[in-house]
Amino acid sequence: MDEVVGPDSRRWIDEHGDYLYRFALVRVYDSNVAEDLVQDTFLAALQGTRRESGPTAERRWMVGIIKHKIVDHFRRMAREPLHDDSRSDVPARDDDFLADGHWKPGVRESRGWPDNPDALLEQRQFWSVLACCLDKLPPRAAQVFTLREIDEMDTEEICRLLHLTQTNFGVMLHRARKQLRNCLSTRYFGRTEEAVQS
Amino acid sequence: MILVARLLPTCQEMSKLLSDALDRRLPWHIRTRMFVHLRMCVLCEQYRRQLALLRRLLRLKNDSHSAGVQVSQAGLSDEAKERIRRALDSAPSSRNSF
Repeated sequence: MDEVVGPDSRRWIDEHGDYLYRFALVRVYDSNVAEDLVQDTFLAALQGTRRESGPTAERRWMVGIIKHKIVDHFRRMAREPLHDDSRSDVPARDDDFLADGHWKPGVRESRGWPDNPDALLEQRQFWSVLACCLDKLPPRAAQVFTLREIDEMDTEEICRLLHLTQTNFGVMLHRARKQLRNCLSTRYFGRTEEAVQS
Repeated sequence: MILVARLLPTCQEMSKLLSDALDRRLPWHIRTRMFVHLRMCVLCEQYRRQLALLRRLLRLKNDSHSAGVQVSQAGLSDEAKERIRRALDSAPSSRNSF
């Protein structure tokens, strides 16, 4: 047993603290809760042992722990009555469409998206633009989008954990997807059309 | 032709339905009307492809990178780091009990 706890866990805070905090924040949508989850994760990590070695494996191990902590948090929340503020995320009118339900000019010109995702996967700039676009979503919409599209959770499970009706869930995801698409069209595909198409 | 168009969803309705279709299976009569609309409307077909691309990208990214997609640029405050450090220092650990 030559491993000492102090320096190891101090290194964790610097190496993984911000990452885990961001990971939790977008999902739980409360900075105090996110900080507590990071702390709980490190505490659990102190008790556990990691099977693989290397910095990537360490990160993956910690993300695995915090994912469980986040679900535990939702389960606790699900037992408490929650103020449903999801309605405030939903504007009454949809500015992307004309009164007759057709796409507005301007929103229409959403070209430059490739058919194949492979070229984009390794484009660092694309992912940083995507992060900016996600940051601009209303927090609840970003939360639901992240759980659904990044964590690939089931519709029913998200609704249950977050106290959402399927209607609210559908409206929030619809808004999130459309806003993300518009944001990516203007901020990424609009500008770097020639760079993306290879 | 106008009668057919009246039976079909508008583009605005389509944008919601295309999103819904990614989360649950829609009834066949709605899927049929969406199919016909998509055959006639390049803008909605373009939107459908874009949503599909976004989903495929995020899934591929999840598979290729251990920790998945980084979606925010915030960080822990210094106070929070200090608090966590203190909590860790005072925590009992299985590793330092020799």
